[in-house]
Amino acid sequence: MPYEWSDMNTGAPVETGAPFYAHVDAGRPLVLAAWPYRSLKKKDFVRFMAATSALLFLPLLALLGQGPLWVMLPFLLGAIALIWFFINRSYRDGTLTEVLELTADTVHLTRREPKGAIREWQANPYWITVTLHRTKGPVPHYLTLRGDGAREVELGAFLTPEERVRLSEELQFILGRVKGV
Amino acid sequence: MADAAIHGDEHHDERDFITRWFMSTNHKDIGILYLIAAAMVGLISVIFTVYMRLELHEPGVQYMCLEGARFFATDELCTPNGHLWNVMITYHGVLMMFFVVIPALFGGFGNYFMPLQIGAPDMAFPRMNNLSFWLFIAGVALGVASLLAPGGNGQAGSGVGWVLYPPLSTSEGGYSMDLAIFAVHVSGASSILGAINIITTFLNMRAPGMTMFKVPLFAWSIFITAWLILLALPVLAGAITMLLMDRNFDTGFFQPGQGGDPILYQHILWFFGHPEVYIIILPGFGIISHVIATFSRKPVFGYLPMVWALIAIGVLGFVVWAHHMYTVGMSLSQQSYFMMATMVIAVPTGVKIFSWIATMWGGSIEFKAPMMWAFGFLFLFTVGGVTGVVLSQAGMDRLYHDTYYVVAHFHYVMSLGAIFCIFAGIYFYFGKMTGKKYPEWAGHVHFWMMFIGANLTFFPQHFLGRQGMPRRYIDYPEAFAYWNEISSYGAYLSFASFLFFIGVMFYSLLWGKKETEANYWNEYADTLEWTLPSPPPEHTFEILPKQEEWDRSHSH
Repeated sequence: MPYEWSDMNTGAPVETGAPFYAHVDAGRPLVLAAWPYRSLKKKDFVRFMAATSALLFLPLLALLGQGPLWVMLPFLLGAIALIWFFINRSYRDGTLTEVLELTADTVHLTRREPKGAIREWQANPYWITVTLHRTKGPVPHYLTLRGDGAREVELGAFLTPEERVRLSEELQFILGRVKGV
Repeated sequence: MADAAIHGDEHHDERDFITRWFMSTNHKDIGILYLIAAAMVGLISVIFTVYMRLELHEPGVQYMCLEGARFFATDELCTPNGHLWNVMITYHGVLMMFFVVIPALFGGFGNYFMPLQIGAPDMAFPRMNNLSFWLFIAGVALGVASLLAPGGNGQAGSGVGWVLYPPLSTSEGGYSMDLAIFAVHVSGASSILGAINIITTFLNMRAPGMTMFKVPLFAWSIFITAWLILLALPVLAGAITMLLMDRNFDTGFFQPGQGGDPILYQHILWFFGHPEVYIIILPGFGIISHVIATFSRKPVFGYLPMVWALIAIGVLGFVVWAHHMYTVGMSLSQQSYFMMATMVIAVPTGVKIFSWIATMWGGSIEFKAPMMWAFGFLFLFTVGGVTGVVLSQAGMDRLYHDTYYVVAHFHYVMSLGAIFCIFAGIYFYFGKMTGKKYPEWAGHVHFWMMFIGANLTFFPQHFLGRQGMPRRYIDYPEAFAYWNEISSYGAYLSFASFLFFIGVMFYSLLWGKKETEANYWNEYADTLEWTLPSPPPEHTFEILPKQEEWDRSHSH
């Protein structure tokens, strides 16, 4: 599902804090990545385009070596180009990602918009409060983070509410551990 | 299942009328716009047919006179106006093929219910959806303009048949023909953009966990239809572009005198045209699957074969085109191939028909209005399918080609098949789309009038075809009078049923009882749109639905 903690292979669930300690021992940040949901796998995109192109070129076989081929070709290539462009556009709209990097002394949040713009936020984990707004936010269980500054940022607004609830519990727990280190 | 109804409910609709209906990017509103526009164009197109049946009511020409078109027979002199007749058959065909059935089933129901069934918040590209709709309206405007613009024989409109065969279409006078080509171009662009939108939505915006073979059948049928549009319409665009060039730039692609080949146009046209008939009927298959399952109180029989049958029909539709043109002088092996390939299509179609029957088998069948239309569809489509197998025989087709037998065949599968699906869909989803109830008896009266009327219109046309009456003629000899008269009475009855239907719709919208339930049928209407209130709020599934809301593979 569309969020993931880095290196879960300690075998222990996030809630135990084990992955975090493993990262601290290795001197690496614990990374949380979240992205909006897309249902088409790249492999299936390739299959779809292959079937579409094959059937689109079928009428061209009959026209090989004739003048009308050159009238038909732009339309058929145009159709392939359009569907290619728009499915990729849909993927690109889904490339919004939020990455949260946790180390013992900083928490760094990077939000990459579909068009490439990058917005960043940083705070000392000791001061971070995680708030879950049950109803007041733009989406149910709206998850926000506030650090030592006045700026409050959202996290995973595109996830499902259940995911946000689970995510906030995991975050609360890990931040608690960070404060303890 | 019930708690999902609160999804997105907190949004209050604050758009004014112009913003909501003229600048709409909301898939549900655009779906409704498509349905209304298609109904209006459909009325025009149906009026043409009634006028044609009026003319064919008796031998001789009484109404379409050079002295002026009449609506009442008089004793005054009447010189037959063949051009007017040809214009009627042409625009009936063009409007029905491009501007009524596809916009209603694919544009209307597809837009409205496909995103709901897969749990998507809207289409992948909402503004492109708006563009598709208004391009369709522009296409309609061009089509109507073409009807009124100077055409062949010094009269308005083009009388070349909806297939626009050259050299007839390239030598038709005036600019009406050019406008008709533009109309088809624009409608094609609209359909292709719509199809791309639907394909992207279907592929990339399904709810989490909804793998391809868990998608409801209606959404599948819309996806396959969109795919066929994407594959077939560029071919048509190329073909009619060449017509346009032949007409205006003297290119001679289809002119034998300039080394061109008019038969080539027929090949290209039907390479588009055969998938086109599946584009028209496949969304109907999807609607019927849900209607039959709901009113038999059983999940649909053989979901997986049903999906593969849709895919198979779609793919096979591309390799059978020349059965529309057995008489153009193809080699024996070409004809044999197209004959065999055509008969193969009966297999997936049969899978669907028998699966629907098997769905009803042992079910607890309820004869509500949508189910009546689904029954009507099943019967009529099977009749049309059987005559289709007859016509697929190259030898038989020699006899039946361009006779009323063909007219009867394709009206049974398309006009009756697709139109009955549209009505089944309208009665099935009326409460969901509008939040109002229609009077149940009115749905039944409408059904019986239409069912009897349609059969009365088209069944005798089989006999006329077997008697040898050719299609597309304004007049006929005495010998064909009997069945023509009966056929005309059927057309009047069907037309009356359509007017009655329009009345029922207005009555129900204005004074109908409120529909308060989210799922007003039963628990076998189990796709995601039934978890939403009726009518659904402006925004739906902004929060993606959970798997247990739609996945019932283990519950029934």
